Amino acid sequence: MAYKDADCRKTPKKKKKKKTNMASLSSDEWRAICDKFTNAQNLTDVESRNDPENDLFRSKYKARELLREIYCSLKSFEAGEGDEDGGAESSEQRAAEPPVDGQREDGFGEGFSGDSPAGLRAAKLGAVEYYLGVNHVDTEELSAGQEHLMNCMKQLGRCRVTSENVSLFIHVRNQLGILWAGRDETETAQGFLETAESIYQRYMKEDGSPPTDMTEYFTSEEKLPTHQERTKRFELAYTHTMYYLAQVYQNLGETERAATYCHTTLQRQLQLNQFSPMEWALNAATLSQYYITKGRYMEGRHCLSAATVISGLAGEAPSEAVAQESETESDRREQLRQKRAEIARCWIKYCLNVLQDSKKLLEDNIGELDTDRQEELKRARRQEEEDEEKGRKSALLFGSEDTFDSIASLEEKVCCLSPLDFTEARGVFLVGQNYVKQAKEYFQMDGYVTDHIEILQDHSALFRGLAFFEEDLERRCKMHKRRVDMLEPICNDLNAQYYLLIRRQLMFELAEIYNEMMDLKLTLANRQADTQSLDNHTIKKFNSLCSASAKYFQMFLDSLCSPEGKVPEHLEEEVLRPALVARFRVARLHSRLISPLLSAQLDNLNKSLENYKYVAEYCETHPEAAAAVETELELSKEMVGLLPLKINRLKAKMATNN
Amino acid sequence: MSKNKSSESVKVVVRCRPLNRKEESNGPAGGIVQMDLRLGQVILRNPRAPASDPQKTFTFDAVYDASSKQRDLYDESVRPLIDSVLAGFNGTIFAYGQTGTGKTYTMQGAWMDPEKRGVIPNAFDHIFTHISRSQSDKQYLVRASYLEIYLEEVRDLLDPKHGSARALELRESPESGVYVRDLTSCVCKSIKEIEEVMNMGNQARAVGATDMNEHSSRSHALFLITVECSQPGPDGRKHIRVGRLNLVDLAGSERQAKTGVQGERLKEAAKINLSLSALGNVISALADGRSSHVPYRDSKLTRLLQDSLGGNAKTVMVATLGPSSLHYDETLTTLRYANRAKNIQNQPRVNEDPKDALLREFQMEIARLRAQLNHRKWRSKQKKEQVDGEAWERDEDEESEGEEEEEEVVEKDAEEYVKLEEQRLEMEKEAIKGDQFMLAEEKQRLLGEKERMMGDLRKEQEATAQLTAKYKAMESKLLVGGKNIIDHTNEQQKMLEMKRQEIAEQSRSEREIQQQMLVQDDETLELRETFTSLQQEVEAKTKKLKKLYAKLQCIKAEIKDVNDEHVRSRQELEQTQNELTRELKFKYLIIENFIPPEEKNKIMNRLTFDP
Repeated sequence: MAYKDADCRKTPKKKKKKKTNMASLSSDEWRAICDKFTNAQNLTDVESRNDPENDLFRSKYKARELLREIYCSLKSFEAGEGDEDGGAESSEQRAAEPPVDGQREDGFGEGFSGDSPAGLRAAKLGAVEYYLGVNHVDTEELSAGQEHLMNCMKQLGRCRVTSENVSLFIHVRNQLGILWAGRDETETAQGFLETAESIYQRYMKEDGSPPTDMTEYFTSEEKLPTHQERTKRFELAYTHTMYYLAQVYQNLGETERAATYCHTTLQRQLQLNQFSPMEWALNAATLSQYYITKGRYMEGRHCLSAATVISGLAGEAPSEAVAQESETESDRREQLRQKRAEIARCWIKYCLNVLQDSKKLLEDNIGELDTDRQEELKRARRQEEEDEEKGRKSALLFGSEDTFDSIASLEEKVCCLSPLDFTEARGVFLVGQNYVKQAKEYFQMDGYVTDHIEILQDHSALFRGLAFFEEDLERRCKMHKRRVDMLEPICNDLNAQYYLLIRRQLMFELAEIYNEMMDLKLTLANRQADTQSLDNHTIKKFNSLCSASAKYFQMFLDSLCSPEGKVPEHLEEEVLRPALVARFRVARLHSRLISPLLSAQLDNLNKSLENYKYVAEYCETHPEAAAAVETELELSKEMVGLLPLKINRLKAKMATNN
Repeated sequence: MSKNKSSESVKVVVRCRPLNRKEESNGPAGGIVQMDLRLGQVILRNPRAPASDPQKTFTFDAVYDASSKQRDLYDESVRPLIDSVLAGFNGTIFAYGQTGTGKTYTMQGAWMDPEKRGVIPNAFDHIFTHISRSQSDKQYLVRASYLEIYLEEVRDLLDPKHGSARALELRESPESGVYVRDLTSCVCKSIKEIEEVMNMGNQARAVGATDMNEHSSRSHALFLITVECSQPGPDGRKHIRVGRLNLVDLAGSERQAKTGVQGERLKEAAKINLSLSALGNVISALADGRSSHVPYRDSKLTRLLQDSLGGNAKTVMVATLGPSSLHYDETLTTLRYANRAKNIQNQPRVNEDPKDALLREFQMEIARLRAQLNHRKWRSKQKKEQVDGEAWERDEDEESEGEEEEEEVVEKDAEEYVKLEEQRLEMEKEAIKGDQFMLAEEKQRLLGEKERMMGDLRKEQEATAQLTAKYKAMESKLLVGGKNIIDHTNEQQKMLEMKRQEIAEQSRSEREIQQQMLVQDDETLELRETFTSLQQEVEAKTKKLKKLYAKLQCIKAEIKDVNDEHVRSRQELEQTQNELTRELKFKYLIIENFIPPEEKNKIMNRLTFDP
């Protein structure tokens, strides 16, 4: 922000003079007003929390009375003092202004200067109206509250924006924004809040000195806040404006703008040092998840790096020994560990999405690395790198001087561009894997089953992404083996009743991994022994992988059956495609099993046919299913036609052999 | 629809309370809710619509009108659920409805008056009566927990330090799914005990209520009962079945709407969060996506009850209504919600031999204690043998008396043994004292030794007694069926209950048949395509026409509702537009009359449109 501490040291004198001016009129009376005001504030903020249930707003009503008294006294001052008021009074009689606060130039045009006596009086009256308005809104008298707030607007309408009243300008619009949003009039709210935004920006550009806080109007001189305090309160009000705007945009469905304003809110919290580190970090990490789903990895990475650095400010989690001794310490340990683990999980998703996106980019139509495309993208890379540099300069960045460097250095550890070869992909993978380790330390199997498994699934997906870039098939196969090793035991240990859905996911994934490994082994074997037939060892390996894959697909299918083992007649929509695909794959796997025995071959082919038939028949009886499995259905139908021929040939062969 | 046989939908019953005095005095035309008990239908009249408008009709599994008794509702709708809990299923009963429609009356009722006791006390009664009447080879363990969810925090209502206690955490285990860590669970042996548990929790809830405004209408209360039953199976091993019963008193439905359980999220979402502490919620709503991780989770209630809504449980939902015309909108909302709930499918299964059954632990503990006791007995027997041969024979007799009295035997044995031992020691002491020839020193030493032996003896005795007490305490927690069949009336009562159940069953099936008939009426009309005469065809067609016409009217009315709404909003918009135009004209007038043209031009030139 443009505002610097140094700019603000010029104005204070002017202010004090005028304050004494006002007070000198009748200093005792003035003091009484100040006291009343302090009292009212106290009633609103402190006392009201202890109000009994049957008299919910007791303190607030008391505060309201006090504010009314202040208002009357101010009015009487005014009557005794000003003559130019006559004109102003009549202007209040004008037709009610429309509530929409659309005029952008609002407040910077004509009118009293904020520091003229008339302007100051208007500001004071406006402030009391503002407090009355908030009071009414708090006590659920919305229309009365609105009236007071609009009165405040009217008072301010007579003034120009200066450091004396800018704070009130913003506060009253914030309140009106909230009020209208509560009535579902989001656009109206948007108008008020956007005006507040533009007033702030213009004020900071043109003046920028620490503005008078509204409470100062009624504070005796010795208690006036410092410049820092003033700035802090003013900036906080604007932070709220940003925050409310974020919500307004969200309600209007403008997610991108909403995200920008959330980002700004976070940035301001950091800059003004008004945040709790862990909470802030978690919010930043969550925001990163918005960016990564939109493919904006640079912003996502920035949010995550900032989250990690800021979460470090919360200090080390107390050790287990310390935690055992006191409850607060153990709470703290729990909180810190959990939130850091959550941030780690956000990082995992970042790495995963980067890998998967680039896989999508480089994939050819059979899911292998497309080298032409790879070359092309590498050539385009230089341009992208320049763009990144530019983007970094224009983006909203987090951080103060002391955190900026550590955030930047953390960002350098992982790239935000799509990796194009194995080395780059491995870099991303390793970062992801490291966060997997961190997240698993907290989200252990015992106590956090679902979370733990989600992390494992992500880990497996990271391997899958990396395997895509690996050219050595032997090593690629090993990566898939790692995936099997982490998922298989869990899949078998889980309670089938409580974790049905998770187990289904795991079964399907395991089946696919085994299938993948089987294909790899076959390619390898074919490569090595070009012309010769496969050796025994390979066949054995191939068959075991093949049947493992079929086994898991079958397990998945069995999990859909009723407790009595009956196959459901009708597949629910969310399992329709997986179930039919599983059937199809089982059929295919059975037909691929290698066996020297003719009878076994026949068996396998029959099983295969049976499953193909199921797919075809199911789609016949449930025509709506056909759309979900178009290619599979086509192939199945073909196979249903062809397989019987093959079976017959086999039977004939068996007959002749016998 | 073709469904799995194993799945069943959530059972929804609707209950309407009578008009209260206040409503009677100012409501002009009585209630807006009509109920057809036979068909299980609720007919809702819109008090603001003209009488010619078709009324809205909803069909449920059962409906209970203002004159219905607590007992009816229990027997017909709840009893089967509790029976299945006793058979090892998971069961859930929800009460749902606007505040002041009798949720608490339905769930709790008036405890003192047997006629007015609600679902919960009746369920207690049911469970313990069932246990006392079951066969004696069944062992039961009943546990109860009570918790509330307030502002997304789970609080234990049975914790004596409820007010200051920390919020509990939800955890998951690979074997048993979601559970609440450190939740107090009280073993209950009788109706009285479980009622005490309930009262204790209610008090804790009441205390919370005075601390915070509107607490009770915002908090959900869950009373959880676990019934474990062990019975020797045909294979001779003991099989354990665990039934869980959740009794849920949801927060008032007007709050529900606002917490997003319903589709009415929009209204609430438009409200702006004032405090920056809710920034997290705002951001996480942005980052809603499948490929991302959002660190804020499902609501606690949803997680705790995930089994009850679309999982492994049988569920009954009691929706409560108020008949007053003042609450038309809320009543309609409740009915619509209840109507949707009918479509939720559950897959209940018996929980057989789960790994976490406490009963098994108890049984093992008891077996262990018994083994220890036996061991001690054996040891003391050996010692006794050394001292006195006579006791041995008696022992044998006693042993044959069977396990039931074992502990008594042990006690008796121990006492006897101690007595003998003491006598022996005394005698020896005397002997030593009497021995004039011994040195005084030596004598002292020997005496001391004897004293020590006596002490040891006593310690051992105490240990045995403790063990016995522990054993008894453990065993007393287990309830064994068949103990209480002393009174002859039991049998008759059982018969009575069965009859009552039959009646309930029959009225239920009657209603079902009626409902089916209605459905089939429609179908048969279509099927009856072969007409014998033209006359019949005309008749049938007219009937069909009438039916369709009624349906048409219904739909028309719906359309009209929607149209009206649009018209209204259009009018409002027009009005606003008129006002704005007027305003604009007024402004122009002012500009024309008060601002000199050259000034105006200047202003116009300097204006820029800033969208």
